Amino acid sequence: MATDRLSAIFAALADPTRRAILARLTEGDATVNELAEPFPISLPAISRHLKVLERAGLISRSRSAQWRSSSLDGTGLREATEWMEPYRRFWDTNFDRLESHLQRMKQRTTTGRNT
Amino acid sequence: MTEAANELVMTRVFDAPRELVYRAFVDPDELAQWFAPVGWSVPRDSVSVDARVGGHQIFTMVNDADPTQTSPVWSTFTEVVENELLVGTEDVDMSGGTSPAKFTVRLEFHDEGDKTRLVLRQGPYSPEMENNARAGWESSFTKLDALLAG
Repeated sequence: MATDRLSAIFAALADPTRRAILARLTEGDATVNELAEPFPISLPAISRHLKVLERAGLISRSRSAQWRSSSLDGTGLREATEWMEPYRRFWDTNFDRLESHLQRMKQRTTTGRNT
Repeated sequence: MTEAANELVMTRVFDAPRELVYRAFVDPDELAQWFAPVGWSVPRDSVSVDARVGGHQIFTMVNDADPTQTSPVWSTFTEVVENELLVGTEDVDMSGGTSPAKFTVRLEFHDEGDKTRLVLRQGPYSPEMENNARAGWESSFTKLDALLAG
C-alpha cells in the first residue's frame, strides 16, 4: 500500500462533510444534487469533496455527465482499516499484561502500601 | 461506520479501581512493569512521565532476545484529567529515525461498578499529520509486524 495513498485516504476521512457523504452513500448511489441536499454548502463545494473522495479511492463516479452518480468504493476504506490491525494486536497483548499487573498492584495496596 | 474508519477503538474492563488503572499509565515504576508486547520489556530508567498538559511520557521498549532492537516512545500530553482522561500525541519511531510516525492516543477511564472500563482511541490522523503526511507508514508497520511476531 503506497504511503501517499494512505495519507490521501486519512486526509479525505478527516473532514466531517466527507464522512457524512460516505455515510449517505452506504444507503445507495446518489447524484451530486442528492448528496448536496442535507448540507448548507454549494454544489461546486460538494463536487470538490467528491473529487477528494474519489482520488482517495473511497468512492467511484459514473461517467454519464449530467446524471453522474457516486457510489461507495470499498478499496479505500479497507486500506484505511488495515493499518490498525497490528495496533489492535499490540494493545490486546498489552492489555493482557496490564490486567495481570493490576492484580499485583491491588495485592500491594491491600497488604499495606510498602513500596 | 465512517466515524470509526480512521481510528482504532478498543474497550477493556479491568478488575481494579480507576485510580489504579490510571496509575499504571502515569507512574513510571508501574508502567515499566507491564507496557510492552510479549518478548519485549521497558527498562525502568528509560521511563519518564509528566502527566500534565504539555508534559511527556517517554520510554523505550527493548527486545528481550536482542537488546539492540529498541523502540522508543515519545508522547506529549494534550489533555489530562486525573483518573479520567489521558490524551497524548505519540511519536512512534520504529525505523531508527528515518520514518517517524505520529499518532493520537486517547485513554478514557470510566467506572464500571467497582471495576474500570478503559476506552482506547488511537487515530493516525491529527492536524499535525497533514504536515507529516509522508510519514513512512509502510516501513513502520512492517517493523511493528516483526515486533509483534517476535
